[in-house]
Amino acid sequence: MKKNLKISMVPYIFLIPYLFAFITFRFGPSIAGFFVSLTSWNIIGTPKFIGLSNYIELFNDPSFITSLINTLYFMVLTVPALIVLGLLIALLVDQNLKGRTVTRTFVFMPYVIMSTVVGVIWMWIFDTHFGILNYYLSLLGIKPIAWLSSVHWAMPAVAITTIWWTVGFNMILFLAGLQDIPEELKEAARIDGASNWQIFWNVTFPLLRPTTVVVLMLTLINSFEVFDQVYVMTGGGPSMATLTVIQYMYFQAFQYFRLGYGSAVAYVVFAFLIILVLVERQLLKKVGES
Amino acid sequence: MKRKNKCLSKIILYLLLVILTILAFAPILWMTVSAFKPEGEIASYPPTWIPEHPTLSNFSYVLGTFNFLRWTLNSFLAAIIATIIVILIDSMAAFSFARFHFKGNALLYATVLSMLMVPIQVTIIPLYLMFAHVHLLNTITSLILPTTGNVTGVFILRNFFRSVPQDLIDAARIDGAGYFRIWWTIMLPIARPSISAVAIITFISNWTNFLWPLVSVNSDASRTLPVGIAEFFGGQSGVSGSAPQYGPAMAAALMATIPAIVIFLLLQRYFVKGITMTGIKG
Repeated sequence: MKKNLKISMVPYIFLIPYLFAFITFRFGPSIAGFFVSLTSWNIIGTPKFIGLSNYIELFNDPSFITSLINTLYFMVLTVPALIVLGLLIALLVDQNLKGRTVTRTFVFMPYVIMSTVVGVIWMWIFDTHFGILNYYLSLLGIKPIAWLSSVHWAMPAVAITTIWWTVGFNMILFLAGLQDIPEELKEAARIDGASNWQIFWNVTFPLLRPTTVVVLMLTLINSFEVFDQVYVMTGGGPSMATLTVIQYMYFQAFQYFRLGYGSAVAYVVFAFLIILVLVERQLLKKVGES
Repeated sequence: MKRKNKCLSKIILYLLLVILTILAFAPILWMTVSAFKPEGEIASYPPTWIPEHPTLSNFSYVLGTFNFLRWTLNSFLAAIIATIIVILIDSMAAFSFARFHFKGNALLYATVLSMLMVPIQVTIIPLYLMFAHVHLLNTITSLILPTTGNVTGVFILRNFFRSVPQDLIDAARIDGAGYFRIWWTIMLPIARPSISAVAIITFISNWTNFLWPLVSVNSDASRTLPVGIAEFFGGQSGVSGSAPQYGPAMAAALMATIPAIVIFLLLQRYFVKGITMTGIKG
């Protein structure tokens, strides 16, 4: 009896250190955030319960709406490009070509650079007067573009930076998916006289579906949570043109010290992400059925 | 005719390969080149890809003006300690989840995985309040602890431990080994590839982490590299209209990048493994 008891304690003992960390630093705060969002809480004062007022205020807050629209705009600029380019690059470096591993390494390399360094590098590239990009564009007869200080170009500039930074990550995931596809299937199609194009559409692409679902979901989530690059490169400007939702949370919570309001922003982001994932699932299901 | 077509498409594919490599690497090369250019040369027009008068002055400026080494040390310490803790506690938990039948196993594990759906940003404000309450803001500890609640490490290692043959554990049991010894002398060593993957992901995600260090630390003594670079070289300098100090910024960027790139080149295999096993950033 005593022995039994001892054995049954073993798994819990192994779990305790991790569960302590998990509950204290991940699970607990995730739940607590919701309760903070129901309060009016300045850093110094005591929290006051105000129900859903923060949420009501949020959806009447033009700056928040702007940040939401900006974030969606950023997603439109980056997500399709990251998926399509990620897949095309993976297909390219999956071909039997010499030097493909070198390309793979170089395309992935930017991903290991820290976000703020990426931001600083591209600020220099995008510099209006001395930037190398405007120099090369001038050779094509294009007048200097005030990339980061123009309302029209700031977001595309941040998007280009992001695509350069993270496309290698999607490439790696697609590549892993491609390498899981049995070579025999493609070979069989080829013997049946299918062209490369037909093989791609009828064999490779359908079998790549599970990978595509994962990559799309991750890309959607990550672009929705964009913060670092924007913080460094534009600070949300010019005139809120690149203000994103996570940045708005940061501003509210840590510049204006409205912790409750900031938490509400974070929870709205969370809700949007869940909707996004559900919508994606539904859409893909439909596409799969048709 | 067909052969000719094939040859042509090969050429196009190689061309694409080269263009892609150039586009991917050019910004890194441009940062490197700019870092070695003296103040007068960096803004010269047209831009040059080889510094005419290469200099180390940007580096000495950065090292002399900013607490750059301190930031690097902080980032490194936080990342390495977090990685060690994560590997120890995650492998213990993963071992338990993977190999023991106990009440609540499935439910607990599902709870852990459910956090993959909750954006980490949601935790920032409660974490801030918590660390403020125990007076641990502005410390390296505050940079380490939140990382230890990660989910991916448990996920990767649990999947691996499930694939370990039961015979191995039974044999050790018959030899009289306790479960703690089995974890330490059997599970950890055979999980080395997976553990390397977890270690690299944890290290890099902590090393590059930005939002939480930005929020939790505002003293220069505990500042990390990403935050230091953002505060001193980002935003303000370009917008203000004054001649931007891009030389020092690129020198700092280069110094911050080299360690990550070296680690990446050496351990690329585990990197890729870690990413494909989880499909999750950090």
